[in-house]
Amino acid sequence: METHQTATKSVLQFRDAGKRFCTPARPDLWAVRDLSLDCPAGKITCIVGPSGCGKTTLLRLAAGLDDATTGQVVLNGATVSGPSQGVGLVSQEGGLLPWMSVEQNVALGLSIAGRSRADRRARAARALGRVHLPPEVSKSFPHELSGGMRRRAALARVLCSEAPVLLMDEPFGGLDEHTRRKLQTQLVELWTEDRPTILFITHSIEEAVMLADRVVVMGFATKTAEIEIDLTHPRDPLSPDSLDCQLKIRELLQQTRQPQSL
Amino acid sequence: MTLIRKIALGSIVPAVLLAIWWAMSLQSSVVPSIGSVVEVLMNPSVAPADLDTTSITAGAQISILRVVLGFGLAGITGIVAGFLIGLSRTSREIFAPAMSVAMAISPIAWLPVSIIVFGLATPASVLFGDEAWRYNTLDQLSFAVVAVIWYGAFFPVALNTAAGVRGVRRAHMETVRVLGAGRMQMLTKVILPASMPAIFTGLRLGGGIAWRVIVAAEIFPGTRSGLGYMISASHEIGEYRYAFAAIIVIGAIGLVLDGGFRLLAWRVGHWQAKER
Repeated sequence: METHQTATKSVLQFRDAGKRFCTPARPDLWAVRDLSLDCPAGKITCIVGPSGCGKTTLLRLAAGLDDATTGQVVLNGATVSGPSQGVGLVSQEGGLLPWMSVEQNVALGLSIAGRSRADRRARAARALGRVHLPPEVSKSFPHELSGGMRRRAALARVLCSEAPVLLMDEPFGGLDEHTRRKLQTQLVELWTEDRPTILFITHSIEEAVMLADRVVVMGFATKTAEIEIDLTHPRDPLSPDSLDCQLKIRELLQQTRQPQSL
Repeated sequence: MTLIRKIALGSIVPAVLLAIWWAMSLQSSVVPSIGSVVEVLMNPSVAPADLDTTSITAGAQISILRVVLGFGLAGITGIVAGFLIGLSRTSREIFAPAMSVAMAISPIAWLPVSIIVFGLATPASVLFGDEAWRYNTLDQLSFAVVAVIWYGAFFPVALNTAAGVRGVRRAHMETVRVLGAGRMQMLTKVILPASMPAIFTGLRLGGGIAWRVIVAAEIFPGTRSGLGYMISASHEIGEYRYAFAAIIVIGAIGLVLDGGFRLLAWRVGHWQAKER
């Protein structure tokens, strides 16, 4: 069907993409170097790698927040040169604006797009419901919420903008095991409903295997391996198949050498 | 219980000061009695017969109007300047050193210069020329004094605004950028609300300085109205009960001003208290 047709197409591609930073201490620091990667439409692609390996830089290139120094990032056939409408980003801290209520935060994309107040309210309420946040929190401020609720609100924001491509940078980092597991399960449920293309960054092998159709292992600045995860959802992190994948990824990660300077 | 405790502890210092005042008024003929000052305060709208000045309410009204005008201008120009130097590195490099020097100079030091520059000009004299005397209140707001108040309040507002604008977190900017915001929306959705607490800190500081400066400026020869003038006039005839009454009113108005700004600052910045 429709999903099957688009599944073969790649929505987001990195073509020999590289990003160099010029800092006074290290004038020639390649955060990402000659990296090629396809994110197939309607699939979840997870990137795992040690911290500082360039995962976040990769995501920033896709979001149009940084420009590639070499190569290019292609989104729906066009080279990325800045933020674009169809891409939603959930950053590490969630990126909620502390001076706005949860409702205003969730509907921020809509208010930037100039949508009416009634429309914003209705869609924010629907998005909050989808991430299982009670309607009462819509008037609360981010600092009044727990860590898990903040992540849910951030998730509600990208759902609200209905972006077909979601970039997620360790969106569940720093949460306790229980909350994290619950959010992972719910993310998969949400993904099953509208099948967005997701590029998900994590340093947790287990999380990657829980979510991904494809896991990309990153060494320093570059991709070292790609593994297809062909397990049905919902997945059990302790099932033999899952553990098998986790071990394989761990082995690949251990093979990547740390650079001399670190 | 805590409220009673608060009131009880907070009253200790004023009570001691009142006792000292009372004791001193018994010893000295210069220090007015508490009763005579209370009497002046109880009849605030009566102009003192022995003093060439207006009543306390009229004086306070003039002082407040001068501050409103000078501080209002300082608020507007300070916020605009703060955004400019907060957003542009070049303008920061041009203006910041000069501003640091300018801020170190007491606004009162500029009063003679200000009088040379503005002369006796007032909003009334500019608008109505020879008919200015008909508009008594407007004619009291001499530009020389207003300019000095502006000078006192401008720098804290501008520098705090600039610090607030510079302190906007990159992650917040990027959040709205990814959602498709243009430059104008970055300003209205992020930079302005994020720097609100700093702006209000600047306004509160500037307001406090403006209120202190106005009283000092009015004591300076050349001004013939306002609470500060009441103090100097009262000194000239040796009747200090008016000076004491004016000082108490000055303190009370300053307190209300600061409380108002605290309240406003909390309203725009309550999100920040728990943010860090």
